Amino acid sequence: MEHTATYLGLIPLFPLIGALVIGLLHMLTCRKNPLSEMLYGALACIGPVLSFFLALVVFYHLKGLPADERMLTHNAYIWFAVGDLHVNMGFLADPLSSLMLLFVTFIGSLIHIYSIGYMAKDKNFGKFFAYMNLFLGSMLILVLGGGPVVMFVGWEGVGLCSYLLISYYSEDTDNVLAGNKAFIVNRIGDLGFVLGMSVLFWAIGAGGFDYLSLKANAHSLTPAIGVAVCLLLFVGACGKSAQIPLYVWLPDAMAGPTPVSALIHAATMVTAGVYMVARFSFIYAHFPSAGMVVAWVGILTALLAAIFGMFQKDIKKILAYSTVSQLGYMFAAVGVTAYSAGIFHVFTHAFFKALLFLGAGSVIYALHHQQDIWKMGGLKDKMPRTYWTMLIGALALSGVPPFSGFFSKDEILFSALANGHTGIWFIGVLVAGMTAYYTFRMIFLVFHGKPRDQQAFDHAHEPPAVMTIPLVILAVGAAFAGVLNLPAIFGGSLNVSHWLAPSVVEHHPHVSVWLELLAMLASIGVVAVGIYIAFKKFAEGAEEPVFTGFAKVGYNKFYVDEIYNALFVQTYKGFGSVISRFLEPNVTDSHVRFTSWLYQKAGNAFKALQVGYVRIYAIYMVIGLSLMSLFLSQSIN
Amino acid sequence: MFEYALSVMIFLPILAGLAMLLFPISRGASRIAGMIVSLVVLLMGIELFLGFSGTGGMQYLENRPWIESLGIRYGLGVDGISLLVLMTSAVLFPMVFSIFTTRKKGYYANLLIAQGSMIGAICATDLVLFYIFWEIMLLPIFFMIGIYGGPKRLPATLKITIYTIAGSLLMLAALVYVGVSYHNQFGAWTFDIVQLGALNLGGGFAVLAFFMFMAAFAIKIPLFPFHTWLPDAYTEAPTATTFVLSAIMAKIGVYGVIRFVVPVFEIEFARFAILFSLAGVVGMMYCGLAAIAQKDMKRMLAFSSASHMGIIAVGVFCMNVQALTGSLFQIAAHATSTGVLFLFVGLMEERMGSRDIGDLGGIAYRAPIFATFFAIAMLASVGLPGTSGFIGEFLIILGAVKFNGFIGFLAGTSLIIGVCYMLWMFQRVFFEKTNERTLQFADLKVSEVLTFLPVIVLIMAMGIFPQAFITKIEPAAQLQVAQIFPTTQSDVAETTVLTPGHTNTKN
Amino acid sequence: MIQNYLILSVILFSLGILGVISRRNVFTVFMSIELMLNAANLSFIAFSRLHESMDGQVLALLVMAVAAAEAALALAVVILLHKHKGKLDTNVFSLLKG
Repeated sequence: MEHTATYLGLIPLFPLIGALVIGLLHMLTCRKNPLSEMLYGALACIGPVLSFFLALVVFYHLKGLPADERMLTHNAYIWFAVGDLHVNMGFLADPLSSLMLLFVTFIGSLIHIYSIGYMAKDKNFGKFFAYMNLFLGSMLILVLGGGPVVMFVGWEGVGLCSYLLISYYSEDTDNVLAGNKAFIVNRIGDLGFVLGMSVLFWAIGAGGFDYLSLKANAHSLTPAIGVAVCLLLFVGACGKSAQIPLYVWLPDAMAGPTPVSALIHAATMVTAGVYMVARFSFIYAHFPSAGMVVAWVGILTALLAAIFGMFQKDIKKILAYSTVSQLGYMFAAVGVTAYSAGIFHVFTHAFFKALLFLGAGSVIYALHHQQDIWKMGGLKDKMPRTYWTMLIGALALSGVPPFSGFFSKDEILFSALANGHTGIWFIGVLVAGMTAYYTFRMIFLVFHGKPRDQQAFDHAHEPPAVMTIPLVILAVGAAFAGVLNLPAIFGGSLNVSHWLAPSVVEHHPHVSVWLELLAMLASIGVVAVGIYIAFKKFAEGAEEPVFTGFAKVGYNKFYVDEIYNALFVQTYKGFGSVISRFLEPNVTDSHVRFTSWLYQKAGNAFKALQVGYVRIYAIYMVIGLSLMSLFLSQSIN
Repeated sequence: MFEYALSVMIFLPILAGLAMLLFPISRGASRIAGMIVSLVVLLMGIELFLGFSGTGGMQYLENRPWIESLGIRYGLGVDGISLLVLMTSAVLFPMVFSIFTTRKKGYYANLLIAQGSMIGAICATDLVLFYIFWEIMLLPIFFMIGIYGGPKRLPATLKITIYTIAGSLLMLAALVYVGVSYHNQFGAWTFDIVQLGALNLGGGFAVLAFFMFMAAFAIKIPLFPFHTWLPDAYTEAPTATTFVLSAIMAKIGVYGVIRFVVPVFEIEFARFAILFSLAGVVGMMYCGLAAIAQKDMKRMLAFSSASHMGIIAVGVFCMNVQALTGSLFQIAAHATSTGVLFLFVGLMEERMGSRDIGDLGGIAYRAPIFATFFAIAMLASVGLPGTSGFIGEFLIILGAVKFNGFIGFLAGTSLIIGVCYMLWMFQRVFFEKTNERTLQFADLKVSEVLTFLPVIVLIMAMGIFPQAFITKIEPAAQLQVAQIFPTTQSDVAETTVLTPGHTNTKN
Repeated sequence: MIQNYLILSVILFSLGILGVISRRNVFTVFMSIELMLNAANLSFIAFSRLHESMDGQVLALLVMAVAAAEAALALAVVILLHKHKGKLDTNVFSLLKG
């Protein structure tokens, strides 16, 4: 049972119009007399805030409906229809997308406000906000898209904005290269997505290529095609959500401004893959073998990224690997068909990771673009608000109760255990400890101990209120968001899971309370150990170590970037060179060359007849005429 | 009133071009005259597009006897297959006259003749008439490259001319074979393409004739490995000619396959479709890889264009409605995006005296409007949703997956290959640091913005509201595909409607 | 007795060809060409007499007129050639050599 709601189309439209207006203003005025930052800032915040209010409207609209009718649709127009393929520019708001909508618009608005402070005095202020609004619009299309193709519009749109914003400081070649890398790696994923959509269409798309029709027809998928669709779509998810083997772009993406890292590369865009798998839960739930691939890729990514995170020294890279690692958790959750747990982790992660990034942004802002944690220290007293909010974020990320991350992560680990995947659970618990370790390593090095760079320390100061207020709001969210999905063991009733139930296909296994308690204690214990080690090692004035052995390999990220470079990038360029230097001039053209060579040789042969003396030509004439006469006389007789 | 629209659209530019050559008028006057003529053609094209009803059949028919003893007729008409090709050649020309203001009279005259003959080739429904326009089309190209081209223009001119004429002559021979076969079977002469569809060819000669036809079109498209004339010709040709070559002439090659080869050689087409789609895919990858190693922007775009033509060709050979519609749509999409990119490169060359990627950098800071326009055209060329490029590419890949999973996968890699060289070029030219050369680069003037804006808006509109175009071309594509599978297609359609639950077994 | 005329004509024509082929002096070549023309004239007139029609004689007169005009042109060309190269040897003029 679905209801129509024509205002759904407006939600992405507001930021898109904002992007258009700001972009045009910036484009026309930036060369001669740039407009004021206040104007751009105000214009930029209108769209996201309006979308947030509409998201609230959607939420309450849905809440007012009976649980099995919670589906708002709006088909704006027929996008394209060819043969059996009918693609509407359609939007769908159900509990799943409304949850995504709420936090995307909420955190998006906050980060827009924060950026007004962070980006102050940037010469391309207007451009930045045009891109940010464009991003938010695309993200909302992704979330609200009523079918896979519309989702793909947003999917590519956020990829484009990600590219534009990573290479925002485009005078520096490295930044642009990072942007290119992000775009290209995402495109590899998109290939999977497009092929997945194609196979899905030919299998069950003839009855309508939107989620509701697909869901109705999903039962007729054969196992082979179903698994193929799941895996192909998951390739897309790997690209967007930075999973093995396509995770390499996300750490490099930190080249963009920090608010971008917070919004795009932590809170929203990178979780699109998880959202997509949850969206397609009506297929994934039927094919557990594909789900197992998802889960194992996820948990191994979590482990790998956590290992890398332990050795990084760039504050943003630490957070980037932590994001990759947390995304791995989410995939582990959706892989074991615990969709609501995965989405809940997306939700809480958005808060605490955005918080941590914005906090890191404040630190970077205060230290004049210093990002090396071994050049920081003792900032606790200089930047109290940043310190306390980041501490809350760190506690949430580490999974310390009662902060939000604890509940969502524990739900994932418990789901893995309850569904009988002990291996995934075990690695998950291990990663939880590592997460706690590297998070607090960062907190201790940045805020505790003595300053390692006295000059920078002296100039450091708390950033303006426009930046700290979003921090505080996010900190509240990071601290208490977990309450929304309190498990029964704490007297709650898994509100979020129940809210999501109509959207996703999942089963809640019943396991004894004791097992749940035991699992919880195990992860709390591991987290405590992680924090304790970090405290011991870094709380009081540690110096930058020289990495050797495994640590060195970990610091260099197992040389994956170098291997990829040699294996793919250089091969690709090599092919290009070989083709244009050797094949194209020498081989491909050979059939043409052979023909012209033949003509040339024949010409040379006949050239001998062309002696240049008139008399000889006269002889040719005589011979020719004689032959003709002979022939004529022969034929007459 | 609109009875002779097509004839006017063909002969107005040709006659205007010839008149321009005969009468001694100044450069400026010839440009204005050319602009007016091309605008008239544009308006007629728009009128024609709006009046087109999308039923799948031919419209705006003109048909009168010409060489009666051989049944050759002066037959013109437009249907969904030719509509978008016709529109691109009607819509894009005024831009050229508006941007390049300082060229010689002969240059403008040749452009007009090219336009008229191309529209003629697109509208012809008689095989002989098509062949004649097809050959005339080459003449202005020959003069434009040969007279106004770059430093190495002569070898390039020779290569493109001889190469394409070689193909055309093969087609001429095959054309005679088709006509004679018809005479043998039905006892009357005709070269009308609708009537030729009734031909029942078979045996070795039919295969030979099919390959002779395909040779002509494969060279024009160009399909791997017959693309080797393209990089040289595109690079040496003056920008407007490159634009005409890539945006329209190449498309007429694809169009020719759909219009003239499929109805006559259904069996051979279906039999060798896999071979040609493979050639398309290989060409797409090959040229895409070659593009990354180019130092000259124009040459890079030339390879990129060849790469895209490969994927468009794949759509034609996949023999299903989605892929064919995708190809027809992509013809227009690619013409607008790559065509505009060539014009942009021409502008850059004119303003900075270089189009070497290594010489440039940081243009985005000097010219934000130009950079934005360029970026939009570039994104359309890599097939970003929301631009015209996505719809066609998606439909082609979708159709290719149905046709053959492996071909579908390879076709899909165009998503990755295209983006690699485009981003690499964009980085080197528009980002990074400015240098003395690019510091002088002035942003687009108001007149130039007004020239490009309609096309940029068109690129976006075709991505956001493609259905307006697809409704006009899809019925014709349906008919075309039904022609190849007269029975199977309708069977499939019935089972799909009756039992949607069992369609998956087809895969 | 038409054969006799024709035989004479053939002999004259062959002598002309032989001259064009074998002689290197431009004047001799030119004179040989004239010889060939007149051989043709002779057969025209002979046939005219045979068929009792004036057409052949008209043609012969036309050929003579053309030959006169040609002689004027040819002599001018010869003078130019001589000015250009200082010689009248046909072997010198071999621009068409491949």
